[in-house]
This record gives sequence, structure tokens and C-alpha cells, in this order.
Amino acid sequence: MKIAEYIKGVKTNNRAILSKAITLIESSLVKDQELASELIEECLNYKSKSIRIGISGTPGVGKSTFIEALGLHLIKQKHKIAILTIDPSSTISKGSILGDKTRMQKLSNHELAFIRPSPNKGQLGGVHNSTKDIITLCEAAGYEIILIETVGVGQSEISVQLMTDLFLYLTLSENGDDLQFIKKGVLELSDIIVINKMDLNIEKAKQVKFNLENHLQITSNKTQYVFTCSALKKLNIKKIWNQIESIFNAKWNNNKIQINREKQNGIWLEKILKAGWLEKLKQNSRFQKIIAESQKKPPKNPRKKALDILNKLSLK
Amino acid sequence: MKKIKLFSNTPGFAKQTKKDWCKSIKKRDFKIQFKNKIFDPIYFQNEIEKTNTFDKNSNWKITAEIDISSEKKANKEALKLLKMGVNSITFLNFKDHNLEVILKDIQIDIIKLNFKKIKKIDFLINSLLAIAKKRQINSKKLVGSFYQKKISKKDYNQYIKLLPKFHYIQIDIESFNKKKPTNYYNPKHILFTYQPSSFFLSEIGYLRAFRINFEKKFKISPYIECVIKVKNNKYHSLIESCVKSIGSILGGCNSLIMNSKIENKLNIQQQLILKHESFLNKVSDSLNGSFLIEKITQEYTNGYQKKEKLKHRNISWNASEGIKLKSKYSSNDIKNVKHLDFGAGTPPFLRGPYTTMYCNKKWTIRQYAGFSTAEESNKFYKKNLKAGQSGLSVAFDLPTHRGYDSNHPRVSGDVGKAGVAIDSVEDMERLFDGIDLAKTSVSMTMNGAILPIMAFFIVVAKRKKIALSKISGTIQNDILKEFMVRNTYIYPPKPSMRIVSDIFKYTSKNMPKFNSISVSGYHMLEAGASADLEIAYTLSDGLEYVRTGLQAGLKIDDFAPRLSFFWGVGMNFFTEIAKIRAARILWAEIMQNFHPENPKSMMLRSHCQTSGWSLIAQNPQNNITRTTIEAIAATIAGTQSLHTNALDEAMSLPTENSAKIARDTQLFLQEQTDICQTIDPFGGSYYLEILTQEILQKAKKHIKEIEKAGGMSKAIEKGIPKLKIEASAIKRQASIDNAKNLIIGLNCFQDNEYEDIEILDINNKLVQKTQIKKLNKIKKNRNEQLVNKYLNKLSKGCLSDKINLLSLAIEAAENKATLGEISMACEKVFGRYEANTIINSGIYAMEQNKNSQFIIAQKLTEKFKQKYGRRPRILTAKLGQDGHDRGVKIIATSFADIGFDVDIAPLFQTPKEIAKQAIENDVHIIGISSLAGGHKTLIPSLIQQLKVLGNSSIMIIAGGIIPKKDYQYLKNKGVRKIFGPGTIVVEAALDILNELI
Repeated sequence: MKIAEYIKGVKTNNRAILSKAITLIESSLVKDQELASELIEECLNYKSKSIRIGISGTPGVGKSTFIEALGLHLIKQKHKIAILTIDPSSTISKGSILGDKTRMQKLSNHELAFIRPSPNKGQLGGVHNSTKDIITLCEAAGYEIILIETVGVGQSEISVQLMTDLFLYLTLSENGDDLQFIKKGVLELSDIIVINKMDLNIEKAKQVKFNLENHLQITSNKTQYVFTCSALKKLNIKKIWNQIESIFNAKWNNNKIQINREKQNGIWLEKILKAGWLEKLKQNSRFQKIIAESQKKPPKNPRKKALDILNKLSLK
Repeated sequence: MKKIKLFSNTPGFAKQTKKDWCKSIKKRDFKIQFKNKIFDPIYFQNEIEKTNTFDKNSNWKITAEIDISSEKKANKEALKLLKMGVNSITFLNFKDHNLEVILKDIQIDIIKLNFKKIKKIDFLINSLLAIAKKRQINSKKLVGSFYQKKISKKDYNQYIKLLPKFHYIQIDIESFNKKKPTNYYNPKHILFTYQPSSFFLSEIGYLRAFRINFEKKFKISPYIECVIKVKNNKYHSLIESCVKSIGSILGGCNSLIMNSKIENKLNIQQQLILKHESFLNKVSDSLNGSFLIEKITQEYTNGYQKKEKLKHRNISWNASEGIKLKSKYSSNDIKNVKHLDFGAGTPPFLRGPYTTMYCNKKWTIRQYAGFSTAEESNKFYKKNLKAGQSGLSVAFDLPTHRGYDSNHPRVSGDVGKAGVAIDSVEDMERLFDGIDLAKTSVSMTMNGAILPIMAFFIVVAKRKKIALSKISGTIQNDILKEFMVRNTYIYPPKPSMRIVSDIFKYTSKNMPKFNSISVSGYHMLEAGASADLEIAYTLSDGLEYVRTGLQAGLKIDDFAPRLSFFWGVGMNFFTEIAKIRAARILWAEIMQNFHPENPKSMMLRSHCQTSGWSLIAQNPQNNITRTTIEAIAATIAGTQSLHTNALDEAMSLPTENSAKIARDTQLFLQEQTDICQTIDPFGGSYYLEILTQEILQKAKKHIKEIEKAGGMSKAIEKGIPKLKIEASAIKRQASIDNAKNLIIGLNCFQDNEYEDIEILDINNKLVQKTQIKKLNKIKKNRNEQLVNKYLNKLSKGCLSDKINLLSLAIEAAENKATLGEISMACEKVFGRYEANTIINSGIYAMEQNKNSQFIIAQKLTEKFKQKYGRRPRILTAKLGQDGHDRGVKIIATSFADIGFDVDIAPLFQTPKEIAKQAIENDVHIIGISSLAGGHKTLIPSLIQQLKVLGNSSIMIIAGGIIPKKDYQYLKNKGVRKIFGPGTIVVEAALDILNELI
């Protein structure tokens, strides 16, 4: 397909073409990547106002079920929503199982929703560089709310936070009992913390909410919100959405969102450059030679050896 | 939940002796008659002081005959037979032929070589010696038989020096028994032949006796060739030969030869199936120790006792249950087995739920059937009843199961397909038209839409003026296993369990002869569970239902005697028998904790169905053999009723002819064999009792684990049973794919020249049209206000546990509410359950890591990625109301292990929904698994939807139960590849990858 066809398709929200465009962005072929950057360049012109929300939490916490509930709530209000989910690939077989739609059955089949699961291809961050560009595509296609779901492993939360306006973290009352169960650093990243499956033990959920709020009051310097919720029983979903909207609107109105997005772009440039250089390095014949030699004859003092090599290195 | 400590502090059960048993029966003329001797139907441990065994490994030679018309033809035929798996060939009518031509390319030092009807034996022997010399084979190592009635002493002495491992004389066992030859032959040069009857249990004892007598007298093992002669024609002969072969093999024959009227191939494959699929060649003298068999053996050995020698090497092998088995068992092995003295008809019912078992009442031949409309199914039922079937078993179509009327937009492809469409009381009435419900017991497989179906059934009985108290039959009503494996649920687990208890309450009060539940393991076996998992989870389900009944205020003895169980019976012959026996003990042990007064509350009654997973589409006639083996296992295990699968059930609904063969399998077992004269005939066999014990203990562990999780409902929420069953299924698939488990015609001995069989096709569009017409008519002629009144009442009833929903559903049905309406009235309150799919990954790869095909496939996915910038991506999906998802899950997990990105679609999707998902995920392939016959409607509709949504380049593949004759139709519609039942997963992946790259 040609760029013009992609653009026309994305602009008219042609599901098949939008989906092909995402594939193009995710492709590892060099010629595809060039085309992809051209496409993004174009799409930036058509961007619509959107709310970008990151959602994370440990496996089994009910992320997909939460998104199903939240998504259905939004669709009732005639919002167009896009959901990008990132699933882990097997480090051994490199294949992946993408079962998100089995947990978002009603949403999957709804005209107003676009759901695209992506394998993380074994990347530690769990989130592609490409995810950010996919957001741009979805915005060009007119999606007003974009939810990005990632499994809470590695550094994925940080990556997601770097491409979204709001970050929502899901946990369970059993996990929240002891605050140490919540991954270090994740709490600071979050704007909203949701204690899911409250229906299993309402008292406990309330208790955890209380403890968390106390904890955050002492340790945090930004305003964070804690909610109890049951995604399965659709309890408190509306409350959570109203909160998201009000935070977003406030920040949008005083230009914070826009400034933050620009800042994010700066950070992404750095990230993409690093990744690109790393890739170039990997393909560099001298580098490959050094690696091959060291595998044949491992150095006794790898630290010294590395320093020697680095000292001789210059970036020109 | 009432917490109980299972399997601890349970007081032991009473032993049973022959005296106890005799006391408990009214008539005493139950006997087996065999060759002028008379045996009791059952024996006990204390009646058998010592046991006999023999020294012979468990294998046998598969022999086939070739009449020499021309040398070249005979040679060609022989090579063909060897390729089929024969390892012993008998040439007939050797005259002055050129033996070298006949034996061209045949490895005479590996096979057994026999000659029958020989004209010139000296010429033959000289030719053979010359060939051996030419090929540089030591003639003294050649093995074979000359079927001679007599031979001169001079010749004999001369020949045995040259060919010492040949038999020179053929003697029939019977004549040898009558008059033992005082001759110059060394007994090792005699070939004994025997034609067993279909009284195969008695024959086992008889053959053992001959071998044991012979070993005692001559200190060597006799060579026995069993000749299977059959009276029946065509495919029916396979049933007869299967029975006789099992008798011969378990009796310890050295070689088997078929003398029947169908093609050689099917006979040979029958033998291979017995060896490799049923493992009858694994344990030597498997029935050593069996009370009945030992008694018969003793009778013919004149009381001679042989000391057990343990010469056999204990080569162990693993059954799929992970039980290590030895190649020979003796009384030493069962010293720790504590259940040997348990009897029949008293707890724990090890040897059967009833004292007299089949001697008094044969098992019920209950063929599961239903298709198209009520009218069509009714005709079929009546025909079957006339032909000797003893009970009915109704199969409903999927829309009915899932609570939809035939006019619902989600069901178009499924109406009337895998069962009969029932929308209303009127349909139910037509279904049983002219059938006396007071006399014919009716089993109904219904779980999800149980309220409307039970209501319709009861209203029909009322209209026919039959007292409910007289109705016998069974309703499956086992909702827990639906959440685990079968997926035909409607509401979430909690309200579903409430409905179960409402059914208990209603039936215990009004329908005392009706089994209010059939706790089913069958679907677990079909989903891939091993035997221990099957019984453990089924009994855990049973336990959960018992608790539900008690919680509903019933007394244990009010309903526990009406619980029945349903097992699948697979190909692993002894394991399957052991499984059902173990389940009976376990259930009695579990139920003892509830202190029932009626011993029947502890009694496990079984319905069995032969396994559908064991059937394959290649050479479907072999499925007759498979079903026969499984049916024998079920009846030896003492089932109360049985469904035998038709040979074409791997491909479609049975035709009239295939249904007849299936039914006749059971009639043959009942009428022509001695099974019905015996009670637990293998009881006491060291091998079987060890297996029983092992399975029992493994199952106990699983049950305890479920209890620890808080009972089955909780365990299901946590996903424990589902994951374990799926892991077992993937392992089994992997072991078939890498040919650790052999399936004849599938992963070994394949041949492409099999006969296509005629297949039944249902025109679902026509059925749907008829159903909609009937629905419209009903809706026109009813009082809409009344209908709404009772439906509202039902909805309100759902809010309170105190109201019996079945009573309300009956009211609604009486006022002509339809199935969909009754179901919807509840759904409004309860909601519709959506399953959460969890997939195991990595297991398939673990089992396959050395399979070269697997590695090639992995490399291909990598190559694909290099070329296209991403991994091949497949969406695996099921369409319509077909919830059988074992196959699709196996494909998903193994493809991911091969390196595909695999998208999983939710169950029960319409073509349009799948098209949307596939397009959004931008997959290369959609894999549709179809097991309920909707493929001809649903798949073309999917392809159409893809076009509408703007991506018709996605490759469509299909798998599951799709008849060959539909292949072309589907391909014309755009399906690229079709994979039938039993496809090797890796091969399918390679096939797809090669097409894509």
C-alpha cells in the first residue's frame, strides 16, 4: 500500500487500513520503518484531542476486566475508544498468546471500540517504541480515549507513563495489605490507584484504601487518588471515570497536558536514539569481532577490557 | 460448606465372601457353561488358594495368509502385508514354485515364515536353505512353521538339524487334550492351533490351562496359534474378531490369524490397535490372579498349581497417567492392596453396584442421538427401540443447550446440527410421540437450559397422563463440568448451582425413579484428562452437589441414591477398567462421611460412553475395533448403561447403518459372549488390582487438592481443574504428534487408500425454517398476557432462593412460553456467563524439544519474521454455539510454542465478530475449529464478512469434525486448508508456514 492509501484509510477510520498501518509501524523491516515514519509525520497533522491513559497491574489483578467495564461505560456515552494491549512473548519460542479479547468480549464486538493486542517481542520494557506512534495513528483516526494496557513486569510502567497523560495502577486488597507488595516506584508514577475485586471483601478493600491514602499523604508530593472497585460487578467505574475526566480537564485547561506531551517527546527522542545506536552497534563489524573474540577467549578481567575498548572509542 | 476430612478415619467397609454373596441373592441359578463345565459368575479371594501362571512374554505375532497363485503376485502381496504391520506370513499351496521369487526382498531372518498345504516339503526346505545360504543367513536362526499333519521320523530328524526353530507338526489343542501323542516329535516342534469361541472370558481360562499343563509336562512353552473364525459378515465381523482376539491374547497365544470375510487390512489393523492403542502386549499373563479366570484355569489344569517364577525382566513402561508399570505382576505385588475382599452389591461396591449385576439385568443399551427436528428424531428413536435398543438418550442442538430459540440471531449455523432443536413443549411432545415414557427410560443431556427442558418434559408427561412417580430416566444437570470443559453453560456458577439444587428438590419429591443428575467425567476425558483426573474431578463435582443438596435442606438419603455418574471409556484397556472400579470405592468412601442410612447413597452407578477422541477419520472402519475394545472395557468394569460410538462419529452424526453397527456391538457382547454371565470377571488380577490401587491413590490426591481450595466451585473459580486437564491434553497431543503414543493409520501404518463412507448431512437452514414456522404458530395461538405473567413470576423467583424455579418454569411452559423465553426470564436476573480463557504455554514445546519437525517449524517462523518483519500471526476461533474447545486450545498453545503470535477469540462468536477481531489484530491466518457441524454455514459467512470489512487476504484454515465430502465446498468458498481429526499439529503448522512463505 502507498502512504496516501494509508492516510486516507486512517483518516476515514477504515478499520482494516488502520490495522495494517499499525502492522507497518510494528514491522522490523527497514523499508517498513522508513514508510512508517513518513506515515506518522503525516498523521501528526490530523491529530485530534484525546485522553491517553496507561493502565497497569500485576497478572491476575483484573486489568482486562477493568478495561471492559470502563470501556463499556465510555461507549454508552458514545465515546470512540482505542485499546492497545501489550502481551509478553515467550523468551524461548518467541511466540506469544494474545488472549485479551476473551476478557473484553462485549467491547471487542462493539463498533465504537478498536482493540489491538501486540506481542512485546521480548522487550524488557514491555512497551514498544512503536506504541507511542500507534497512539498517533489512533488519534488521527479520531479515537478520543486511548487506553494502553501493559502487564506489570520489568520497566513497563515507566514506559507507559512516558506516553500517557494519566497513569492508573490496579491492585487487590490482598496485595495492598502490605504496601511492600506494590512494586517500588509504581506508586509514585500513578495518578490513580484502584483496588479491584472489592466485592470479595468490602471491609478489607476499604481498610486497604484507608492505609494507602494515609501512606500517600505522607510520602507523595502530587495529588493521587485511591478507589475501590469491582470491575466484574461494575462497581465504582463511573466514579473512577469522572475523576479521570476532571483531572484531565483541569490539566488540559492550564496547559499541563500539552507541556507534558512535549517533554515526553524529548525523552522519546533520546530513547529511540539509544535503541537505534544499540542496533547499529550490534551490526558494527568491529563490535561483532570483539564479541566473537571474547566468546572464544573470555577475558580474565572483563571490566578492564571493556574500559580499554571504550577509551579508544570515539563518536564521530 | 460443611468441612469434612476426606479419606481419614473412615471405618473400613465389610468384606464380602461367597457365602455373603449367596445369601444376598434370591435366585441361585446363575452359572457360566463352558465346554461341559459349569462355573459361578463370581469368585472371591478365599476361593483361590494358589494361582497359576506361565512363562511367556505378552507379545504375539500378527499372521496373515497368502495363497500362492503366481510367485510374483504372492511376493507383492507379502511385501504389502509386511508394510501393513504383519510379522508372520503363511503361504498356502506351495508346490514346485520358485521360492526365491516369492521371498524376494523379504527379510526372512526377521519375520516368521510359514507354509500350509505343502505338496513337496523336501523341495520347499531345500529351496529355503539355498536362499538362506545365498543371503548369508544362518538357517538355524530362521523361525517358522510347516503345517503338517504327520512327518516321517527320518525326515523329521534330518530337517530339525537344518531348521531347528521350525514347527513341523500342526495339532489342534482340543485333539491334543483328548489324546496326547506319544510320538517322536520334540514338543517344541509342534504348532498348536485353536479356534476360540466368543465366550472369550472362559476361553482365556481354557488357553491358560493348556499352556500351564503343557509347561508342567514338557518344561517348555507351547507355541499356540489362535485362528479367528467369524460368522458375521462385513463390518460386523470386526466386532466378533475383536472379542475373540482379546480372549486369545489374554489367554496367552503366540500368534493370531484372522479367517474372516473382510479385507486383510482391517484385520491386521485390528491387531495393531490391540497392541499399540490398548497396550495388550505390555503385561504378561495380565489376568494372573483374577479369581474367575484362575478358577476356570484350575478346572482345566486338574488343580495343578505351579509355583510362580519371576523370570520376566521387569521392564517398566509409563501409561499416560504417569503410572510406572511392570511387564509382569505376581501375588507379591499386591501385598499392600487393601481392597481385594470388597464385593458386589455392598459398599464400597468395588465389584459392581448390584449383587447379581448382568446375570439378572443386562446393561441398558442407550445410544445418544438426536438431530434435525423433533419429528425426525422421533422416527429415529422408534426405529432404534424396535431394533433392540433399551433406553433413549436425547442429544439437543447447541442453541437449545445455550437457551436460545431457533430464531435467535446468534444461532443460525447450529440449529438441528449436533442434536435435535427443541423450542417449545410442542416440540418435546413430538419428540416422544408414540413412546411410552412409563416404560422407556429417557436420558437427557442438558445442563445449561435445564429449567425449560425439564419443564417441557414434565408437561409432556402430564399431558400423556403418566404419573411423574413412574418416570425413570436421567437428566445430566452437571453444570460444574460445563465451566471446566464443555462450555454449554448459560448463567454464572452461583445461580447455576442454585438451579441444580432446585432440580434436586423437585425430583426428590415428585420423581423418585428419576436420576436428578449424571455427574460426568466423559467430557473431561474427551477434553484430554487422564483417568485419575477424570474420576477425581468428577467425584469432587459429585461431592459439591451433595453439599448443595444438603444446604438446600434435603436429607442425604433423599437424593444421594439418585445421583448417577457418566464416564468416558478410552483405549487403554486395563486402565479404563481399573478407573471405574476405583471410582466406586472412592465414592463410597466420600459418601460415608455423610453417614447415610441407605447404603444406596454410597453406590456409584455408571453410564459409559466410548471415547470420541479415540476415533479417527483415516480408515474409519477401524473405529469399529476401537469402539468394541472400549465397550468390552466398560462392561467388564460393570457399567449400568452404555453408548457405543458409531464409526463415523469422528466426522459427523451417525447414519442409520453406522448407528446399527454401533448398537449391534453391544447386542453382540450381551448375547454372544459370556460377559453377562459374570460379575467383575477380572477382579483379583494382580495387574488390574495394582492399577486400581494406583489410580485410586492418584485420584485421592487430586480430590484433596480440590478440597483444600475450598471445594469444586472455588477450585473452578481459581481455574485449577481446567488448567490441569488442558495440560494433560497437550501432553497427550504431543505424545501422539511425536509418535510416543501410536495411533494406527494416523501416526503409523498410514495408508491413503481407504474407502470413503457415506455420511449424514443436516440441512440446518431448512430445520431453522421449520422451527421458526412452528415458533410463530405457537406465539400466535397463546395468551400473551398469561405468558408474560408467568415469565415475570419466574424472573422474580430468581431473586429468592426459597422459590423453586423448576415449578415456576413448568407453569410458564404450560402456558406456552418458549425455551428461549424461559431461559431469558432467568438471564435477566442472573446474567450470562462469559468464560475467561487461560492458556497453558510451553508444555507442548517441552514434549517436543527433540522432534525434528518441530525444530524445522520453529526455524520457519523465524525465517518468516526475517522476511515479513513480524511473526506469523493467527487468530484461533470457534464460531457459533459450539463450545468444544480442546482442539482450538491445543492449536493455540502449540502454535505459540512453535513461534506464532496467537490471538485467541472468545467462545460463541458470530462470523461478523470474528471478522472484526481478525481485521483489528491484522492476522495472517484465521483458524476455525468446528465440531458441531456448523461449518458449511458459518465459515462462508465469515469469509463474506471479511470482504465486507475490507480484508480478504487473510488465509482461512479449518479443522475439527468436517466430513471429507464438504472439503471441496469449503475450498470453493475460499478455505485454504482443512485439517481433519487427528492431524499432527506440527505437520499442520509446517503446511501452513510453507504456504505463507
